[in-house]
Amino acid sequence: MKKLSVVGIIFLLVVITLSLSFQIRADEDPIKIGAVNPLGDITGRQSTNAMELAVKELNEAGGLLGRPVELIVIDSELRPEKGASAIERLATSDEVDFFVGGMASSVHLAQIPTLKRYEKITVWIGAASHAIEEAVGPDEDWYFHLHPWDYQQGASYAYGWKDIEEKHPEVQIDSLFLAYEEGAFGTDSYESYQEYFESAQEGEGPYADLMEDFSGVSFVSAAHGGGDYRAMLRQAMNYDPDLFIWAGYDADAVPMLSQVREIGFSPPIYAGSPPGWPEDFGDSPLAENVVFFGMWAKSLNEVSPVAQHFWDEYIAMHDDEPVTYFAPLGYTNIHFLAKGVENAGTLEKEAVIESLREIEYDSPVGTTLKISPSRIISNQGFSEQKIIQWQDGVQEIIWPFDVATSEIIYPYEW
Amino acid sequence: MKKIIFYLFFVIMAATLPYYAGGYLLHVSTTILIFMSLSLSWDMMLRTGQLSFGNAGFFGLGAYASLISVSNLDIHPVLSLFFAAVFAAGVALVVGFAVLRLRKIYFAITTLALALVFEVIVMNLSDLTGGSSGRVLPQAIFGGNSVLIYWLILFITIIVILISELLNKSKTHYAINSIRNDEITARSSGINVFKYLVFVFVFTSAIQGIIGGVYTQQYAFVMPESTFSLDFLLLPIAMALVGGIYTTMGPILGAIFLGLISEYLKLIMPYGHLFIYGLIIVIVILFLPEGIYKVARKKYRNRKSQEVKLDASSEGK
Repeated sequence: MKKLSVVGIIFLLVVITLSLSFQIRADEDPIKIGAVNPLGDITGRQSTNAMELAVKELNEAGGLLGRPVELIVIDSELRPEKGASAIERLATSDEVDFFVGGMASSVHLAQIPTLKRYEKITVWIGAASHAIEEAVGPDEDWYFHLHPWDYQQGASYAYGWKDIEEKHPEVQIDSLFLAYEEGAFGTDSYESYQEYFESAQEGEGPYADLMEDFSGVSFVSAAHGGGDYRAMLRQAMNYDPDLFIWAGYDADAVPMLSQVREIGFSPPIYAGSPPGWPEDFGDSPLAENVVFFGMWAKSLNEVSPVAQHFWDEYIAMHDDEPVTYFAPLGYTNIHFLAKGVENAGTLEKEAVIESLREIEYDSPVGTTLKISPSRIISNQGFSEQKIIQWQDGVQEIIWPFDVATSEIIYPYEW
Repeated sequence: MKKIIFYLFFVIMAATLPYYAGGYLLHVSTTILIFMSLSLSWDMMLRTGQLSFGNAGFFGLGAYASLISVSNLDIHPVLSLFFAAVFAAGVALVVGFAVLRLRKIYFAITTLALALVFEVIVMNLSDLTGGSSGRVLPQAIFGGNSVLIYWLILFITIIVILISELLNKSKTHYAINSIRNDEITARSSGINVFKYLVFVFVFTSAIQGIIGGVYTQQYAFVMPESTFSLDFLLLPIAMALVGGIYTTMGPILGAIFLGLISEYLKLIMPYGHLFIYGLIIVIVILFLPEGIYKVARKKYRNRKSQEVKLDASSEGK
């Protein structure tokens, strides 16, 4: 009997010790965040660097809920099937708690069926196509999308131009000419503007009272073997628009501006909307007074302490300057999620979702991040882009006015 | 016999994969099977001596045909795959009558342009295709059940392997071999060259179409830039070259080898893995121009014949 009691006590002690050690291990286990980014592309690389910076800051501050944070990154290779298998790996092999990322609408579309299967909280910073919103659907409360949708971006430019017209009466925009590269990127832009124009003609939509006339002509991008824009520019010159916008790639920026000067085209506003600008474009005199749309510029450091902090810490950690807005977005991605977990005080899904919906996060892109519904999903983050102008080689924010770093230089002169 | 044992082993291992592999390996295997089928279809056309670059074009057409038939005609997703195959085959038949009059580099360049032409057409039929933004399905096939999707793709791949083997065993094999070796001699021997070329072009396009359809049903979307991506042309070609062309086993081994190595490299080397991957392809093609399968087979046969010689000499003693 005595022997049995001793064995029983020992067994009990072993069970208690084991369960305690498991408890301690569970407390020390990191909170895992799985990221899928295109590491061969500068947007993905810089976004990943910024995520690593955010995770480092979190861990230096004691982690999340007393546990360290681990970031696991997998390359999407900008291929849909690779992006989807990365989600599968993060969910099954790495058993991450959250998904973050990533760029390219086609890659993200392929990830949606897998994300829907696991239903883990997902905070996505890229992929602007409205097709993604359709694929996600209205019922997925675990899905948070931070980048403005394509239709939100187009609308935000209209609000920006209207504000600028109001503040600067000399700026008058009634007609718009869109030069678009004939691939998917440019055609998509043209179709969006065409829709805005049709609504504006009926006095509806964001471009009502702004777009009384509209025309567009396609061109072959230098990125796809083109590079002669003269015919398109002459058509634009004959049309004589108040606002000239080209939707193409960075490879088009310099040759198009050279040909603009060659034929003597000088619209009041010359705007470009490539996904990125050529390296050292700002050093070229051709860049002067060119307007573009984006989410972030280095000059935000002058008006936003968060942007300045991000800038300094990023360079300190990676010895490299952030050049794409996906860098501050990547940083925002992690800190926004971390704040949600911290405020929820738990990893329990519903609590974290509720918490994320309540957060107001002062982000380094110069805008306060607050979740609100978009056309289909209930958890949309940012809804507008900024209007930026190259001035003396620097990207100056000219709208929204609360983060503006300079006034618009009007009309465009060279 | 050995080949049959290998295929049986392959089928049993592959069919039971969901029972012992995790979700990640299952997904990687699904992707490998997709590219394996594309690689085999490209190789089957190559056996006629014609270098076709039409893979991506017919893959994309099948993808769109499948999605539109489900969305607009309310066809069951599995049936939509047959529709994708028939549609791609139909287009290949029409296109084939024109492009199969061309030979060598002219044929190759014309088929390369097909993907671009199809992409432009799809982008301009925006009411039907969603234009440059593409279209999405409400949900993936089988409700996104990865095991059922895997089995469906495995089933299609097995059919493609069987077609490839049958092609190598049939009368057609001798005809297309003869066309590849010397078209004039083949013609003078009474072989209807054009008929055989059209036949192979059409059924390989049907395979590419059905694979495009299943890819779309798996991921529930189409988008011109990614659906007509050159990845669906270049990777299958690399797989066939690495494995060994003009055989069934070559593209199978090439797809497994490159598919697994690409995932493995990515895990051990998050940055720069694509460079090493490309380097491996270049090295294999440079130093094993016949491909892994043919080199391995040659070595195996050499060893066997040496063993036979040794046996014979020892018996002679």
